[in-house]
Amino acid sequence: MKTYKDLPADGGSNIVEQVTQQANRLQQRLASVRHTVAIMSGKGGVGKSSVTANLASALGLRGHNVGVIDADINGPSIAKMMGVRGQRIDYGADGVKPALSPLGVKVMSMDLFLKDDETPVLWEAQTQKDAFTWRGTMEMSALREFLSDTEWGTLDYLLIDLPPGADRLPNLVDLLPNLGGTVVVTIPSEVSQLVVKKSLTMAKKLLNAPVIGIVENMAAYVCAGCGKTEDLFPSGHTEEMARQFDISLLGKIPFDPRISIAADEGNMFVDQYRDTPAGQIFFGITDEIRMFFERKM
Amino acid sequence: MKFLCLECNTAMQFKEVATPDQGSLTALFECPDCFAEFAMHMNPWETQMLKSLDVQLGGKSEAAQPMQMVRSFLNQQNPDNLTSEVPTVSTEGGGKCPFTSVVAQAFQEPETTGPVWTPEALARLERVPSFVRAMAKNGIEEFARENGHTEITTELMDTARGNFGM
Repeated sequence: MKTYKDLPADGGSNIVEQVTQQANRLQQRLASVRHTVAIMSGKGGVGKSSVTANLASALGLRGHNVGVIDADINGPSIAKMMGVRGQRIDYGADGVKPALSPLGVKVMSMDLFLKDDETPVLWEAQTQKDAFTWRGTMEMSALREFLSDTEWGTLDYLLIDLPPGADRLPNLVDLLPNLGGTVVVTIPSEVSQLVVKKSLTMAKKLLNAPVIGIVENMAAYVCAGCGKTEDLFPSGHTEEMARQFDISLLGKIPFDPRISIAADEGNMFVDQYRDTPAGQIFFGITDEIRMFFERKM
Repeated sequence: MKFLCLECNTAMQFKEVATPDQGSLTALFECPDCFAEFAMHMNPWETQMLKSLDVQLGGKSEAAQPMQMVRSFLNQQNPDNLTSEVPTVSTEGGGKCPFTSVVAQAFQEPETTGPVWTPEALARLERVPSFVRAMAKNGIEEFARENGHTEITTELMDTARGNFGM
């Protein structure tokens, strides 16, 4: 009896060819993107999306053409943080035009498609029972469409804000074979780092892309009155984790309530408060990322 | 997935997609040597998995629209972000053959056998975004047929909508 490998092609079902075409289209679209960077954490609530939005804006303020994809399909927040909620998505010649932030950053997010604040991401199906069997595939197909059907144009940087959890990382290998690198966001707590380490291990093992470095968010509190810096959590663990994984600590962003306030208002902290300690560190991290790619060239 | 005719030891060839039944898609394959046919019934989850890949069994020359999968299957979308003029995405080296059209076609019954739409129901159907209208129409007609209705009213549309989990 013939085996799977003995049988030619796929008997005309054409599935493999279509999936290959999807991958080719994705590759063609991203050919005009110089550097693709995934921002990940593994742990939720560390401020990854806020860091992504500010890094993207800081790169834009440094004169680069930047795009951001909100890959958190079920909990999109980038559109609000970057002030593009409610923007109409228009069709261009070969895809849809991304939303444009006030600082000129191109944004694509599921949030732009949802009806209102209360509407969750729910996919049409005969039944939602046992949706776990196909929902993940649906989400990755949505991410593929965000990547390949958006008219990104020529970009210096495309930042991908990944959802929490390490489980989606293997899918990125297929979607983004030319991923430039990853930035890992954590907070100083040991609990966060316990989870983030798993993502780091998975990223180093599975992704064909280097870890550019770690960003420690909410590293300390800067008193608005006297400017004195106080630790929010016991410090030193992130440095230890960076040493353990032999990766750079790109920067430690102090907690500043104005980051959250700016995000809620759709304003960019790095633009409004660029001379604050946190603002300066955002630009410092941005420059570390730029230098990482310059060294590679 | 490939299929082998054990009698002939020959790869079976995809023939066509048959009318889905309650979300279950059926693909017909045929042996090119002995012409034996067999049907592969996919359960609703397998059918949904195929849909989620945004592919079509057998392929199709029709070009995809941008964000085809998201726009076709995302429930409760923002109606303000839709434009009426939708260009197709170049298929050169890219994705094509959205599964939605397979489902729509496969669900298509001869018009003479379909339930009759009241003017009010038709007017309401017209308000459904164009790119999902055919799918919605077919889904409601299928629901009407399954439940023994010969006329589609706005009330029946509400019932169908509830049944779809919308």
